[in-house]
Amino acid sequence: MADQPTAFERFVQGILPENPVYRQLLGLCPTLAVTNGMKPAITMACSVAFVLLCANIVISLIRNLLKPHLRIVVFTLTIATFVTIADRFLAAYLFQMSKTLGPYIPLIIVNCLIICRCEVCASKQSVGTAASDAIGQAIGFGLALSSIAAVREILGTGMFFGMRVLPSAWPDWVIMVLPPGAFITLGLLLGFVNWIGIIKSRRSVND
Amino acid sequence: MSRLRNSNLFQAWLVLVLATVFGTALAGIQSKLGPIIENNKIKETMERIPSLVLGEDQAEKTMRQKDFLAIEPRVIEIKKNGRTKFYTVYDALFKDGSMAGHVAKASGQGYADNIEVLLGLDAGAETITGLFILDQKETPGLGNRILEKPWRDQFLNKSSNKRLVVVKGKAGKAYEIDAISGATISSRAVTGIVNKTIADVKAQLIASRKSGTPKSKNGNIKETK
Amino acid sequence: MSDTMKNSDPKDPTETAGLHVAPSPHIKNTGTDTQRMMIDVMIALLPIVLMSVYLFRLYAVKQLFICVIACLASEFLFVWMRGKAITLSDCSAAVTGIILALSLPGSAPWFVGVLASIVGIGIGKIIFGGLGMNIFNPAMVGRAFVMIAFAQLMGAGSYENMTGLVDAVSGATPLSALKFNGLTMDIAPLFWGKTNGSLGETSTAACLLGGLFLVIRKTASWQIPLSILLTVSVIAGITDITGSYSGVFLVHHLFGGALMFGAFFIATDPVTSPLTAKGKWYFGLGTGILIMVIRLFSGYPEGVMFAVLMMNAVTPLINRWTSPQPMGEA
Repeated sequence: MADQPTAFERFVQGILPENPVYRQLLGLCPTLAVTNGMKPAITMACSVAFVLLCANIVISLIRNLLKPHLRIVVFTLTIATFVTIADRFLAAYLFQMSKTLGPYIPLIIVNCLIICRCEVCASKQSVGTAASDAIGQAIGFGLALSSIAAVREILGTGMFFGMRVLPSAWPDWVIMVLPPGAFITLGLLLGFVNWIGIIKSRRSVND
Repeated sequence: MSRLRNSNLFQAWLVLVLATVFGTALAGIQSKLGPIIENNKIKETMERIPSLVLGEDQAEKTMRQKDFLAIEPRVIEIKKNGRTKFYTVYDALFKDGSMAGHVAKASGQGYADNIEVLLGLDAGAETITGLFILDQKETPGLGNRILEKPWRDQFLNKSSNKRLVVVKGKAGKAYEIDAISGATISSRAVTGIVNKTIADVKAQLIASRKSGTPKSKNGNIKETK
Repeated sequence: MSDTMKNSDPKDPTETAGLHVAPSPHIKNTGTDTQRMMIDVMIALLPIVLMSVYLFRLYAVKQLFICVIACLASEFLFVWMRGKAITLSDCSAAVTGIILALSLPGSAPWFVGVLASIVGIGIGKIIFGGLGMNIFNPAMVGRAFVMIAFAQLMGAGSYENMTGLVDAVSGATPLSALKFNGLTMDIAPLFWGKTNGSLGETSTAACLLGGLFLVIRKTASWQIPLSILLTVSVIAGITDITGSYSGVFLVHHLFGGALMFGAFFIATDPVTSPLTAKGKWYFGLGTGILIMVIRLFSGYPEGVMFAVLMMNAVTPLINRWTSPQPMGEA
C-alpha cells in the first residue's frame, strides 16, 4: 500500500480537490432533492457524515477478512444498518425534519458517495486513515450541499436558516425552491467551480 | 475440511456474523426509539385537536386552565358504491364528559399530490369549527397558500348542511369559499375534501350521538347529556 | 420567431477582393442573412407592438423598453464573458427582447422582464454556444423561468390585477375566464384584441397581419403555423361539438389566447424548429396537440409556451427522422 495517500492527504482531498459533489459528481440525488433550505441540507449532510464515518470505520476494521466477491454485500449491509439508525434517530428526536426529508434519509443507502469511499479507501487502508477520509469527504459534501442550499434558500424565499435576510420587498424566486432551481443552481455552481479550477491550473502552468 | 472451507456458507460467514450483529443492534434501537416515534406521530395530530374544535383563543384558555380535553380516536367505516372507506375521527370531550366536538382526518387528490387535512366539527356536526392542512405538496407561492390562516379561516362557522362552493372573486353567500387567485384547483381540492368528509361522516356522527356514548377505550368517561 | 439564426457569412462575396472559392451548392441568397431576417421579424412585429401600445399604453411601452434593453445588455455581457466577438448588430437579441416583452403581462414588475431577459439570453442561448446553437427558444426559456418563479405575478391572477388600471380591458384573460368561470366573449373583441392578456397575444388581427408578412417574405415557414392552427382547430372543434358549445369554445381557443402569436412568431424560430418540410409538419402537429392537452387537462389556462419548449426539445429527433435519404441508400 505504498502509493496510498496518508490520512492527512485523504482528509484535505475530500474537502475541495476531490469534493464529492463538485469534483466526483457523487451523491447528486440528495444534493438536488433536499437543498431547498439550509436546515434540511445541514441535516442531510450530518446524516451522511454519520453513516459515512461509521461505515468507513467498520469496513476498515474488517478489511482483512473481506472476500473480494462478497465485499459489496458487506458494504451494503453496513451502510443500511447505519442509515436505519440515522433514520430512526431523526424520526424520534427531529420529527418535523424527518417528515420534511421524507424518503431521502432512507435513500442514503444508495448514495454512491458512501459505497465509493468504502471501496476506494476504507477497504484498503487503516482505521485512522479511513476515519479521516470519511470526515474530509463529509465536510466536502456538507460544504457543497450548504453552498447550493444557501443560494436556493436566499433567492427562493429571501431567508437563510429560516430567518429573513433580504428585505421583505424581495420577490421570492419560487422556481429556486422547486426542482428546476436545484438543477440550475447545481449547474451554475459546478460551472463556477470548474472555471476556478481552469484559472488555477493556468496560473500554475504560467508560474 | 477443505470442502467446508470452500462451501458457499463458509465463505459467507462474515456476512452472516455481520447480519446477526447489525440485526441485534437495530432491534435494540427500534425497541428504544419506537415508542418515541409512535408518540411523535400521535402528538402531531392530537396537538391540533383542541384548537380545531374550540377555536384558537378558547383552546389556549382551556390549556391555561389545565382543563384538557379528553381525546378518543375511533374509526368510522363508510360503505359507498360498494367500496368501503375508513375515516379516523377523534372525539373531543370536556372534563365533565360532554362532547366538545369531532375532528376527522381526511385526504384527497390535490393539484400536485395528496392533501391531508384535519376537519373540526362541533358536537352536533352542524358547523365547521376548524380546518388544518396536515400534509400537502402544492406549488409554492400558489397552491401552498391553502396553508395560510386567512384562507382556511373562511371555513370557520360554515354550516355543514350545504355543500361549499368555490368562487373566484368575492365570496358573498354563506356557503361560498373564495378561491386563491391562480390556485383554483388547490382551493377546489381542499373544499372538495371538506364536502366529501362531511357528507360521509356527518350521518354516522349524529347516529352515534343518538345511540349514546361513543365506546370509550378506558370506559371512565361518559357522556352526560 | 427567428431571434436566432446561424450567422451565415455576413460579407457579400462581391465586396471582398479576389476570388471567392466555396464548395457546392453555389447558391447565394443574399436576403437570408441574420440581420436581414431579424429586421423582417421586427417589421412583422410592428402591428402587434402598435396594438399593444394602443391597448395597454404605458404598461406596454415600459415592458418593451425594459426587455429590449435587458436583452441587449445581457447579450453583450455574456458574449463578452465568453470572449467572443460582440454580436449585437445582428439584432437577434433585440428581437428576443421584443418577443419576450410581448409575451409578458403588462402588470409584471420591472424585475420580471429583466430576469427573464438574463435567463433567456444567458441560460437559453449563450450557454449553448450562442446564436444558432441553442436548443430552446431563448424568449420562451426566459418566460418559463419567470412564469414558475413568480407564479403570482405571471399567472392568471396577474391579469386581473390590471383591472381598473387600463380602461380598455379588464378582468381575466378570455381563456382563463372560459376555463375557470365558464364566461365567454363575443368574437369581435377576441379577433381585434380588445381583451386582456399578455401584451402581444390579444389581437388576432395584428398577429395574422405580421405573421402573413413573414410567411410571404419566406422568413418564416408556412408549414409550422398552418399545422399548429389546423391541429388546434381540429381538437378544439371536436371538444366543441362533443361539449355542444356551438362554436364558442373553438373561437376562444383560436383567437382568445397566445395561439396566433405563438404559431407565427415563437414556434417558427428557424434555429429551434425542424429543417425539413416534413419535419415542420410534425413539429406543428406536436405543438398543436400539446397546446390543447395543456389547455384542457392542466392547471394552466394557456399552454403555448410549454408546448413550444417541449417540441423544441424533440426537434433534433424530428430532424433525424425526417432527414432526406440520399439517393440509392435505403
